[in-house]
Amino acid sequence: MKLGPAVAVAALLTIITACGSDTSTGAEAGGGGAKVGIDHPRADSDFWNSYIKYVPQMAGELKVDLMPATNSQNDVTKLVSNVQALTGQGAKVIVMAPQDTGAVATTLQQLENKKIPVVTVDTRPDKGKVYMVVRADNRAYGTKACEFLGEKLGGKGKVVQLQGALSSINGRDRSEAFLECMKSKFPGITVFSEPTEWEGSKAASMLQTRLEQNPDIKGIYMHAGGVHLAPTLQVLKQKGLLVPPTDPKHVFVVSNDGIPQEFEAIRKGEIDATVSQPADLYAKYALFYAKAAAEGKTFQPGPTDHDSTIIQLPNGMEDQLPAPLVTKDNVDDKALWGNQVN
Amino acid sequence: MTAPAPRLRLARFRDLTLVPVILLLLVVGAFLDPTFLTAGNLTNVLQQQAAISLLVLAEAMILIAGKFDLSLESTVGTAPAIAVMLIIPVSAGGFGLGLPGVLVIPLALLIGAAIGAFNGFLIIRFQLSAFIVTLAMLIIVHGFLQGPTEGKTLFQLPDSILYLGSAMWLGLPAAIWIAGALFAAGMFGLGYLRAGRSLYAIGGNSDAARAAGIRVDRVLYGVFILGGTLAALAGILETGRLGAIGNSMGVGWIFMVFAAAVIGGVSMDGGKGTILGALTGVLVIGLVQNILTLIGVSGFWQPVIYGGIILIALMISRIAGGKAQD
Repeated sequence: MKLGPAVAVAALLTIITACGSDTSTGAEAGGGGAKVGIDHPRADSDFWNSYIKYVPQMAGELKVDLMPATNSQNDVTKLVSNVQALTGQGAKVIVMAPQDTGAVATTLQQLENKKIPVVTVDTRPDKGKVYMVVRADNRAYGTKACEFLGEKLGGKGKVVQLQGALSSINGRDRSEAFLECMKSKFPGITVFSEPTEWEGSKAASMLQTRLEQNPDIKGIYMHAGGVHLAPTLQVLKQKGLLVPPTDPKHVFVVSNDGIPQEFEAIRKGEIDATVSQPADLYAKYALFYAKAAAEGKTFQPGPTDHDSTIIQLPNGMEDQLPAPLVTKDNVDDKALWGNQVN
Repeated sequence: MTAPAPRLRLARFRDLTLVPVILLLLVVGAFLDPTFLTAGNLTNVLQQQAAISLLVLAEAMILIAGKFDLSLESTVGTAPAIAVMLIIPVSAGGFGLGLPGVLVIPLALLIGAAIGAFNGFLIIRFQLSAFIVTLAMLIIVHGFLQGPTEGKTLFQLPDSILYLGSAMWLGLPAAIWIAGALFAAGMFGLGYLRAGRSLYAIGGNSDAARAAGIRVDRVLYGVFILGGTLAALAGILETGRLGAIGNSMGVGWIFMVFAAAVIGGVSMDGGKGTILGALTGVLVIGLVQNILTLIGVSGFWQPVIYGGIILIALMISRIAGGKAQD
């Protein structure tokens, strides 16, 4: 039996799958500007897929000369090699979203030595120079969710927060801000924190167990609507707790992300609010600042023309984009990105 | 077929080496939290473990036959997702073929069986390493979830696929009945049926099994196909429990599956272990997870405690079993 070809094919398949360079084409935009290289952080979450879809569209609108995007699949070593490949292909500006904010420092140092400005999206690197960080304030997400739940519950009772991965800065920020706000503003509320690792299966099991132990839980904060929404609704439905807000048995649910399915659930009265993380603005301003960096523009700390504030960091600047709280009152607002995609 | 006629022997109790661990967990859990020993909580534990237990059942059979399948965890998400996409319209993220909704479960099982058959084909026909083949298949099969869905969660599902994972039969979740019935069938099959007994012969020494007249290749194909089908069924149950198919469904399960099978006394080298033992392994894992959630151990430290308890369970099972593990 000839094993050679079969082994070769299997090896090849593994390499192709593991290598993970996403060769989705960038928008063909002229303008003769500098080439912008972009690396996407992952391809398996609803939020990031919306962002990835917005990138070529915004590049067209802003006339950015975008190179084919790479995808580092939530792995900082892939991010490093992708960035090397992009600079090797002549990128003059790099847009990236490092999910590991510490391990990216050396890469940032190398890019600084090559005089290649870097725009990071969603996360703020701990060390290494960045031209601009484009993100919403994740601590504000946690605080907004806390204030909403605290008011709905009248400052007493029990709530659950379904946490993301504790190794991610955004997950930690949401979690810590939520806990701090509850402690200082609503000391009468008990918080249970469930480490779900962004996994629906764990979220469902942990929430089910917690509700069995404390049937009087009245509020839930989900750190990621994409993974937590369906399991939470399924558990509440099974327990007979999926009832309108007017019913005394209602459990108040605040989500985070702002995907269309969350808006649908808000309209149906199944959940009460979500923090809309602006996928469209992430893409737009990442490319806006990339273009500005190529043109050598500089920015000052202070309010901007798009309802955000630029703050000074030790290693660069950060444009803190607004992340509105969406409730039944404003869920049909056309400006929300969740209402623009399908 | 020369396997001795099975009969009840005292030695069979070594399948039950984890029973002391389960009793210990029940006692400790009852002390730590008053909710733990309620019927509602224990039902929840069984429901939460139903899907993964089917993977343990499949993996136990494959390990007993002396093979390996890592790709089962990817089948959990991919089989139901592709089946769903064949049915739902394009607007909901499907392929737009418009197949009727009743086909979704048969299609998912068929896809699982096909993945198992392909694994078997590579491993048996080409004599490739089962470990590496199924490692590659783990990546590829998960890619077939991420590719067609473009990473999006499938929210709009046909009602038929949600039924099994969320229905109640005679006061208990249907998933518990299904998993229970399949484990009973597995215990009977591996204990008393010719094909089931032959798994031990093949896992112990496949050449000797062949010489004894067992159709080794055919039995192994059967085990891989059954494994893929059970993984697809696990995916169907999980889909019903979660109400949506996300891209991370099943990811990372395989470590828990191996932990459950091995602390339950199934040998990684083949030929040894029982389905009942594997079941006790699943129960230990489920009870530990439940207790950690109930007492609210800090998320930063849960992995340490969780892994530590698996090690302790392994040691207790070694002491109670009295035999070296391999």
